[in-house]
Amino acid sequence: MNEFLKKLAEILEVGEVNETDKLKAFPQWDSLAVLSVIAMLDANYGVNLRAADFGPVNSAADLWTLVQSKKRV
Amino acid sequence: MLVVVPANERTFIEEMKNYNFPEARSLKLKEVMGYDRRRLVEPGVCASDMAVFGLQNLFDRGLLKPDEIDALLLITQSPDYFMPATSNIIQGRLGLKQGMLCLDINQACAGFVIGLIQAFMLLEQESVRKVVLINADVLSRKTSPKDRNIYPLVGDAAAITVIERDAQDSVIHATLKMDGSRNDALMIPAGGLRLPCSAETAVLEDVGDNNLRAKDHLRMDGSAIFNFVQTEIPPLIQGLLDHVGVSMDAVDYFLCHQPNRFMLQKLADKMKVPHSKMPNNVVERFGNSSGSTIPMAIALNIAEKVTDGQILACLAGFGGGLTWAAMLMRLGGWKFCEIIDYPNQAK
Repeated sequence: MNEFLKKLAEILEVGEVNETDKLKAFPQWDSLAVLSVIAMLDANYGVNLRAADFGPVNSAADLWTLVQSKKRV
Repeated sequence: MLVVVPANERTFIEEMKNYNFPEARSLKLKEVMGYDRRRLVEPGVCASDMAVFGLQNLFDRGLLKPDEIDALLLITQSPDYFMPATSNIIQGRLGLKQGMLCLDINQACAGFVIGLIQAFMLLEQESVRKVVLINADVLSRKTSPKDRNIYPLVGDAAAITVIERDAQDSVIHATLKMDGSRNDALMIPAGGLRLPCSAETAVLEDVGDNNLRAKDHLRMDGSAIFNFVQTEIPPLIQGLLDHVGVSMDAVDYFLCHQPNRFMLQKLADKMKVPHSKMPNNVVERFGNSSGSTIPMAIALNIAEKVTDGQILACLAGFGGGLTWAAMLMRLGGWKFCEIIDYPNQAK
C-alpha cells in the first residue's frame, strides 16, 4: 500500500498521501487526476476502473480496498 | 496519400482561459496529454471544401487524373448535409465522371482502416481500378470551447488516399470489431431526428466536472475510452499477428489512431512496443481529426519510408461506435505522401 500511496502523491503533486486523506479534498483532484489514477492502476495493478467507479470512494484507503476487490475478480 | 490541414493554427495556451479550471491544472493537462498546437477550420469551412482542395491539388500536379477515379469513399461524421451524400457533392464540384461510385460511410476514429477494407473489397471488381478514400472531419465545429474534456484535443483535417491493385496482389490481413452497446461513449446527442437541434439543445450545460457543453456538441467519456483502448486494442493486434504468424518484433511500425500522446504511450507500454515504433506526435502538432490521424501519423513521421522504401506496418483504428480494427500490410512504393495547408479564407 505504501507504493500505492506514493504513486497517488506523485499524481496529486504533493509530498505524501495518507490512508485517511480524502481524495476529493485535494484541489488537484480533477478529471485529469482521475484519468491519471485510472492509468496508474491499469499499468501497475492490472485493474480497470471507470471514472464513475470513484463515486463512493472517499479516502485513499477506500480506493485501495476497491483496487484489491477488483484484483480478486 | 495527401493530407490537407487548415492553415489556421490555435495553441493550447491561448485557449486555456476558456476553461473553468485553475491554470496550473490546465498546464498539467497540456504536459501529461501532450497538447500544444492544433489546426481548426475557419467558420463555414466544411469537409467537402478540404477534400475538393486536396483532390484539385493532385489533379493540378498530375498525381491523379480525374477520369481514373472509379470509386470515391468518404468517411466522415461531420457531413456537409443530411442529404445528399457529401461524396456526391465532391464529385459534382470537381466535375468527375458519372460512371463511378460515391459512398459516404459514417465511421469515426477507426475510419481509415474501415475505409481501406471497403476499398480493397471494391478493387475486387473488374470495373474498379482506382479508389479514392477520403477521411475528412470538421468536428471542431461540433465541440464546446468550454469543454476541457475534448476541445483541446480536437483538430480538423482531410486525408486523401489513392488505392489501386499492386502487381504482386499481396495478401492483406485485417480484423474488425464493433460494440454498439457502448455507443454513448462518444456521441453528439442532438442534431439527428432522435433529438433535433433546437434552442434547448444549444444551451451550454454544466455537465458536473467544470466543463460546459450543449447537447449539440460532441461528448466523450474519457475514462471509458481510455479503458476501452487499453483492454481491447492489445488483444486485437495480438490476435491479428498470431493469425498471420508474425511476431511483434517483426512489425516495423504500429500506426495507430491518434487520440493523444498519453493514451498512445500507455498503449505502447501495455503492448511492450518501443515508443519509437508507435508514433504519437500527431495531436501535439495538429489535433485529433478522427479518421485522418493514421494518414497524418504516416505523412508526419515516415513519409520517406513509404515512398522510397518498404515497411511492415500494423494499422489500428479505434473509437466511436464503438469500433476497433487492425490491419497488417506492407507499405511502400507510394507515389506521394505529404501534408499541405488549406489556406485561410480559401472558401
